[in-house]
Amino acid sequence: MSRALKNNVYNTLIWTAAVLSIAILVFLIATLIWKGMGAISVGFLTSASENFGSEGGILYQIIGSLALTLCAAVCSFPIALGVAIYKSEYVKSKVFQNITDTIIYSLNGIPSIIFGIFGLIFFVNILQTGVSWFVGGIILAMMILPTIILASHQAIRSIPNSYRENAQALGLTQWQVIRAVIFPRGINGAFTGLLLGLARAIGETAPIMFIATAFSGVTVPRTFLEPVSSLPTHILALAQQATNPQALQNAWGSSLVLVSLVFIFSISALVRRIQYSKINY
Amino acid sequence: MLVFQNKIGKGYVLASTYLCIAVTLLIFLILFWNSYPALSTVGFDLFTMTWNPAKDQFGVLSMLFGTLAVTAIALLIAVPLGILTAIFTSEILPNRYRLYVKSAIELLAGIPSIIYGLIGIALVSPWIATLFELSSGRTLVTAGILLAVMILPTIITLTDDALHNIPQQYRETSKGLGLYPFEIIQKTLVPIAKRNIAGAVLLALGRALGETMAVMLLVGSIDKIPEPFYNLLSPGQTITSKLGREVGESAFGSLHFSALNAIGFLLLLLVITLTIGTQVYMRKGIRTV
Repeated sequence: MSRALKNNVYNTLIWTAAVLSIAILVFLIATLIWKGMGAISVGFLTSASENFGSEGGILYQIIGSLALTLCAAVCSFPIALGVAIYKSEYVKSKVFQNITDTIIYSLNGIPSIIFGIFGLIFFVNILQTGVSWFVGGIILAMMILPTIILASHQAIRSIPNSYRENAQALGLTQWQVIRAVIFPRGINGAFTGLLLGLARAIGETAPIMFIATAFSGVTVPRTFLEPVSSLPTHILALAQQATNPQALQNAWGSSLVLVSLVFIFSISALVRRIQYSKINY
Repeated sequence: MLVFQNKIGKGYVLASTYLCIAVTLLIFLILFWNSYPALSTVGFDLFTMTWNPAKDQFGVLSMLFGTLAVTAIALLIAVPLGILTAIFTSEILPNRYRLYVKSAIELLAGIPSIIYGLIGIALVSPWIATLFELSSGRTLVTAGILLAVMILPTIITLTDDALHNIPQQYRETSKGLGLYPFEIIQKTLVPIAKRNIAGAVLLALGRALGETMAVMLLVGSIDKIPEPFYNLLSPGQTITSKLGREVGESAFGSLHFSALNAIGFLLLLLVITLTIGTQVYMRKGIRTV
């Protein structure tokens, strides 16, 4: 085969693959929007679900999902920031650096269902907390820790050493250096990471389905130790009654709401990343 | 006062780090500790076919087969498609569009897996059923296809990064030698980015192995290896779908629960080895140009 012909064959192959992948991805979004719009109305968003979710709306599912995410954010943010600062400012030995890296990557790699089983054993059975949204939030917080740590660590690492040296030369203690120089940048990075993490946390089903959620009869939680219902577990329950068209329609509606929430988080993360990547020291 | 603050500050960051390490170790310990009863009583009978908690038979072979089959199908579809698409976005697509396309693909990588499950159950599995004239469209192939779509964005963005990070000089020099565009890609760029592309595929493999929701809804959840084994258009079971279906139903402390823990632990080890291996492999391959 001549080289020119080969070149054309390759070109066609690449174009076909690209068109196919983009078509698949566009199809996904189009389906979600098309099917979801048919189900969403003001009433759907502001009423409780009835008849095992096949009728009524998803108000409490939205509230439950937001409560879980908020709890995850509050629990994980300070810890992740601390780890990132420790890693970049205090750790000198290469070995410990590698150990923490390995730990963070392992935590990142643990499959989501394993978090669910861990939560079920540790919190629900050993600590006897029962099924509760607070436990779900903690588990989600563990899951998104690595994302926040890595984002914040990256931001801190981009601060040039001369900044630290200048601050030290002014006579600041190490903690004052951290507060004045490292914190502002680190928090920005951590916040971007948090948004990315939350985009993942809000859509997770497997970690919370055993430990945090109940399917029906749940409203706004009044204590820490009550179950909530959430969008992903609601979709799961509805998907299992897929033969009922009404249930399926509600599932599409819930999916569109869920994807919109995910995109709100990830688009803000994306915008922040583009903004902050322009900072030059 | 300042010294005191200094100490509190250090205490805070140190405590966070140790908490993070402790949590990770705790997950491993708890899972191992809970799988120990099953590992010690059932032992190597884990590697048999029948799973029947009532008779204390816990064979995981069919789940291992399902996991491997579904993952293999997903990779067979997603790897070629993803790499070729990444070549498109990195080498053919004009730079000013690249950022938009890439951002869009990154957004798509964030779609929750349960939604892939819903799309699979509502649309893809009926298609598969009519196309191949099956009574039910919930098969290993259906789960594999959906999984492929799920990992496609990951492979595309990471491969695209790997290719795009190669300095322009390489392309210009190759062009100067009179190579065709495809030869530049094939002979110059892909060999340089090989390690990172492999990393992307391994990362996607890790995700595919651990993926639960979409697979659980679509795989059919029947504990058996199809007859004959290459007939993948039949229902099966994966490790994750088994866990998702049965953990909620088994009683804490029972042998059944412990056996489920054991396969969870197996999965955990598999995925973690893969993740850490990938990290080490990638770190070695960092070039400084």
